[in-house]
Amino acid sequence: MSTLIQLVLSGILIGSVYALMSIGLTLIFGVLRIVNFAHGEFLMIAMYGAWAFSNLFGLNPYMAATAIVPAMFLFGAVVYWLVISPALDKPHLVVVFATMALSIFLQNAALMAMTADLRDIPPIFNRSITIGSIFLKVELLLGFLITILCTVGLQWMIKKTYLGKAIRATVQDGEAAMLMGIPVPRIFLITFAGGSALVGLAACVMVPLFSVFPSVGLNFVLIAFVIVVLGGMGSIEGALLGGICVGVMQSLSGYYIAPAFGQMFFFVLFLLVMIFRPNGLLGQKGAAMIGMNE
Amino acid sequence: MRPFLRLSAMLASIMLATTMTARAQEPIRIGVLLPFTGPLAKNGIENWEAMQIARDMINERGGVNGRKIEYLQGDATTPNAAISETERLITKDGIKITTGSFASPIAIAVSQAAERHSVFHWETTGAAEVITHRGFKYTFQVGAPARKYGQAAVDFVFGDLAKRLNKPVTELKIALLWENRAFGKSVGDGIRAYSQTKGIKLVYDEGYDQTATDMTPIVQKLKDVTPDILIAISFPNDAILFQRKAKELDFNVNAFIGVSAGYSSPDLRDSIGDSVVGIFVADFPPKVNANVLKPDIKKVAEEFYKRYEAKMKRAPAGHAAAGFSAIWALFTEVLPKAKTYEPDELRDIALKLDLPEGSLVNGSGIKFTNLDVPDDPKGAGENLRASIGVWQWTKAGNEQVYPPELATHEAAMVPMPKWSNR
Repeated sequence: MSTLIQLVLSGILIGSVYALMSIGLTLIFGVLRIVNFAHGEFLMIAMYGAWAFSNLFGLNPYMAATAIVPAMFLFGAVVYWLVISPALDKPHLVVVFATMALSIFLQNAALMAMTADLRDIPPIFNRSITIGSIFLKVELLLGFLITILCTVGLQWMIKKTYLGKAIRATVQDGEAAMLMGIPVPRIFLITFAGGSALVGLAACVMVPLFSVFPSVGLNFVLIAFVIVVLGGMGSIEGALLGGICVGVMQSLSGYYIAPAFGQMFFFVLFLLVMIFRPNGLLGQKGAAMIGMNE
Repeated sequence: MRPFLRLSAMLASIMLATTMTARAQEPIRIGVLLPFTGPLAKNGIENWEAMQIARDMINERGGVNGRKIEYLQGDATTPNAAISETERLITKDGIKITTGSFASPIAIAVSQAAERHSVFHWETTGAAEVITHRGFKYTFQVGAPARKYGQAAVDFVFGDLAKRLNKPVTELKIALLWENRAFGKSVGDGIRAYSQTKGIKLVYDEGYDQTATDMTPIVQKLKDVTPDILIAISFPNDAILFQRKAKELDFNVNAFIGVSAGYSSPDLRDSIGDSVVGIFVADFPPKVNANVLKPDIKKVAEEFYKRYEAKMKRAPAGHAAAGFSAIWALFTEVLPKAKTYEPDELRDIALKLDLPEGSLVNGSGIKFTNLDVPDDPKGAGENLRASIGVWQWTKAGNEQVYPPELATHEAAMVPMPKWSNR
């Protein structure tokens, strides 16, 4: 029994970290409908940033977030301005290939600048928390907490603030929104950059857990896309639920069936959800067509 | 007219003589194929440093038969790049001897291209079995083939760990964990087969994907079977993830043996710090007990380690020491006996080599197979005396612990202290 509890808890904790990394993509892919294949590389760059901060200044990566998050906001804005915006009014595939090229470019730039060495920060907390025979890693618990706060905050922002309403309006009908006086191009820019900033936050949570290397993003980007679609395009609490589902699924199937099939099972779950609930777990009806979840 | 003719004849003979001495002093050019850029570059460059030290040492001693050694680099980042770079060195620069190439997939590609042009290829560290099982005439693999890594781990359990753990081998609980791509799977298969012939039954035997992001299920399962010894084949990233998860979930074993790759990489210490101390690694020996070396090689070894540490600020890993050992053997055992330096002649010399263990810096000897393996008519160029063994991470670096004749130290920390006491 304690094994099952351990597996489920570990799955929930690691799943919440996956979710945090996917929330940025929910904004970019789920809300704006921009297929950003370079999402993994955004994560990689932000992880290098967090690593550098804790290595050069001896800062704890959670403190480094105060610098990494705004830096990633700026980075996202620059990418939007240079790569995404010129491709937006062209056929949909142009964005796909533009971000794909960006992904390859960033990976190789990182390889040249940082080499293929693995980078790690020294452990922050030396012991796990133990409850009976259950072990919980402090860094993972912190990650879980940050994810919950982030989900709640973002949900409030989307529902209550003017910016949130403007984002929703822009996605529902761009032309009408423009007629109502909403600066649509600027809303796109802010949402894209905001998505990147969230990736920056995720990176700070992930640096104590995973090594950083140029292709680290590839290990996570597929999981992120699955989580966004699984949770329901554009739904932020859906991403949280999707992340936790993927984490628990990986953990249980790896134990009870075989670790080599861990990835296969969450894709089976993904297929089932797509067949029976094509809008995702929490997506509203027609979410696949337009966007926002109210 | 006559004095003029005589003078020109004299001049001509002087010119001929000078060109002949010039030819005698022309360097011997060797193509070095290594990953200098790309994801494998770190190990490639360590190998390159070791090879440069060998070149400098031989040139300072006057070269080979009075001729200096000169390297031409080929950047073998991927198997495709390896083929085109080897072709370039052979067809454009006229290279007749190639060496390298650190990783097996690259070694396979380089030797393929070299064989096509009948060029002599002296493989230093590529370990895949297939390198010497394609019926090639000009490829010689100086380092140990892949199956030996796993066998070294199992032999170590039999010859050493069982005694230290005070248990008969048949009662030891041994677990095997392998990453499920080419390298991990083939070494894992080898260990399973070899341990069966020795009568060992594995209590756990599972593969996992190298890009896995969560090791919880694996570690939890291992906790359930409580093995005495865990043998793991991993790459650096997953080795680090595994060690962290083992610490997080407080999974302890009496002895941990990593096989090459992730566990032998100096990156491991950079990443998990002193948590590496006590882990055993089955791999090329980084440094062996100097007493097994022939007296002249002992001096060469001392000089190599001194120069390497001065240059790189740390001791060489096993593959760098293997790279030096192999190339030094080429300089001192093969090339000096050559007259034409043509691949056919070099091949004959290589096949006649019969060097006992201790003839190379890392404790190896040399005796190549030559299409004479009874159960494999295509086996050629495999070194039957390549040394392989087990070393252990220590606070200061690493120490060779097995086999006893190569050991610099006795195996320590058996059983391994629990995480709570580390």
